[in-house]
Amino acid sequence: MPPVGIWIDGLIQSCTYMTMAFGMVLVFSILGILNWAHGQFYMLGAFVFYYAVTAAGIPFPVSLLISGVLVGGLGILVEKFIIERVNIPSAQGALYVTVATIALIFFFEGAASMIFGMQDKGLAMVLPGVLDLGSFSVSYQKIAVVIFTLVIMITMYIVLNHTKVGLAIRAAAQEPDAASLHGINVERLSLLVMGIGCALAAMAGSIMAPVFIINPFIGGIPMIMSLLAIVIGGLGSLTGAIVGGLILGFLNSVVAYHLSYFSEVVLFVLVIIILLVRPQGLFGASRK
Amino acid sequence: MPTWVRRSYKRMLELINIWVYYDKIAAVRDLSLSVDKGDFVTILGANGAGKSSTLNAISGIVKAKKGKRHSKTEGHFKGEIYFKGEKLNGLTAAKIASRGIIQVPEGRKLFPLLTVRENLQVGAYLQKDKIQMQRSLEKALVVFPDLKDRLRAKARELSGGQQQMVAIARGLMAQPEMLLLDEPSLGLSPVLRQHLAERIKEISQEGTTVVLVEQNARLGLMLASYGYVVENGKVALEGKTSDLLNNEDVKRAYLGV
Ligand SMILES: Nc1ncnc2c1ncn2[C@@H]1O[C@H](COP(=O)(O)OP(=O)(O)O)[C@@H](O)[C@H]1O
Ligand SMILES: [Mg+2]
Repeated sequence: MPPVGIWIDGLIQSCTYMTMAFGMVLVFSILGILNWAHGQFYMLGAFVFYYAVTAAGIPFPVSLLISGVLVGGLGILVEKFIIERVNIPSAQGALYVTVATIALIFFFEGAASMIFGMQDKGLAMVLPGVLDLGSFSVSYQKIAVVIFTLVIMITMYIVLNHTKVGLAIRAAAQEPDAASLHGINVERLSLLVMGIGCALAAMAGSIMAPVFIINPFIGGIPMIMSLLAIVIGGLGSLTGAIVGGLILGFLNSVVAYHLSYFSEVVLFVLVIIILLVRPQGLFGASRK
Repeated sequence: MPTWVRRSYKRMLELINIWVYYDKIAAVRDLSLSVDKGDFVTILGANGAGKSSTLNAISGIVKAKKGKRHSKTEGHFKGEIYFKGEKLNGLTAAKIASRGIIQVPEGRKLFPLLTVRENLQVGAYLQKDKIQMQRSLEKALVVFPDLKDRLRAKARELSGGQQQMVAIARGLMAQPEMLLLDEPSLGLSPVLRQHLAERIKEISQEGTTVVLVEQNARLGLMLASYGYVVENGKVALEGKTSDLLNNEDVKRAYLGV
């Protein structure tokens, strides 16, 4: 049995993957696309947060919101001026979106390197101190990660299930034509949902910033892990994204504790085993 | 002419020389029809005649130019469509709905994972406030009282007949001026079909203008007052339903007499 610290680190990773995966699935359910640059929105969110806290001295929770709003806005621009244009209604549409969003990975990483520099930055001083629980201790930063993730996920739950726009999002995800026949502007909803998805990635990046380092290339791993979380959970299921994210965070942390090398390979093998048992993922609808 | 002067109109809905294309194949060819306020009009025709394509052009599911990605049907149409004297061409489906035309699509297209109540709430998406929403809900449940006990059920858990009722009730939630019904009787037993026909008659009598598309010609002709018979994307015949019921060609081709 790994020590408590490993499980706590697993939980911290779960928080990231959950939030990232949730945003990706939300975007997929309405726009029908996978945004391969989702991890770079995570990275940009971390940078916005870093400068809001260090350069502007804005309090931690407000900086988190600023990061979400700015990077969410960027996501809306990307949807409006790039994705919407290349996503033509034919089989090639999905391919063009893939190419365009992969290009965005390099664009955002390059732009971030130019603007922010490539050296690592840290935010360790934001929330110093540890909570001593006798046999083990947890840093306040890690507690903050869990609390903020919970707040974000509960907010998303309320928005989706108890607001008019949430109802519109769920309706448009299930039957876009019927939704538009009742007055829902699905195109505008797509912009909003892309904004929310990117804001979630940015907030995940912001929440993790004090725990990890920040540089232009931190987006790749969380993106791959969230993608795996989605595959485990079942593409298209929001519950699946959350559960998949939870599983993957713990799995990653525990496997890495036992194996210093090839831990990712073991991770992929475990994911493949899950898929062999349940090809549609844990919460995916089985194909008719 | 000042811009605020609307084109004067006699007809509530007018389709003028409509062509609907899927890629380059024309499914509707030069079709014209009109509907007066308060009318009950039926569009009859065999499977594939172009009835749904016509309705989809009115509601904006088939766009005036080449379609964007959100519609699964990628058709587009040429010609002109006027509703209360205003051109609908180029408006999004959502905009057209807000003008007062609500389509109940073929195959119901319910939101399967939403509850019946939520389905109806989406129907009331264009309503200003909760009070109006509540009033629409009460009205819809007067027409379809069977749904009262099923409000918490997920739409996909209902029987076919109940699903069709939800689809029409969802359409009524917007309190539309014009209701477009695409084959509501499809797949229903004769008893249910009769029940549904009575409800549709009620809706028309309450003052809603109804356009009913039917493959079941007898049903359409019994309910409506005016009918269009569509063959290969064209209007082959039109007239009062009382005349169409006695027309020899209609009898032979559509009523199996
Ligand atoms: N989305 C579509 N893509 C391609 N062809 C279509 C599409 N929808 C309908 N069609 C074709 O257009 C013609 C008319 O179809 P439709 O309007 O659905 O007829 P109806 O409702 O009278 O049965 C048919 O030949 C059908 O195959
Ligand atoms: Mg049809």
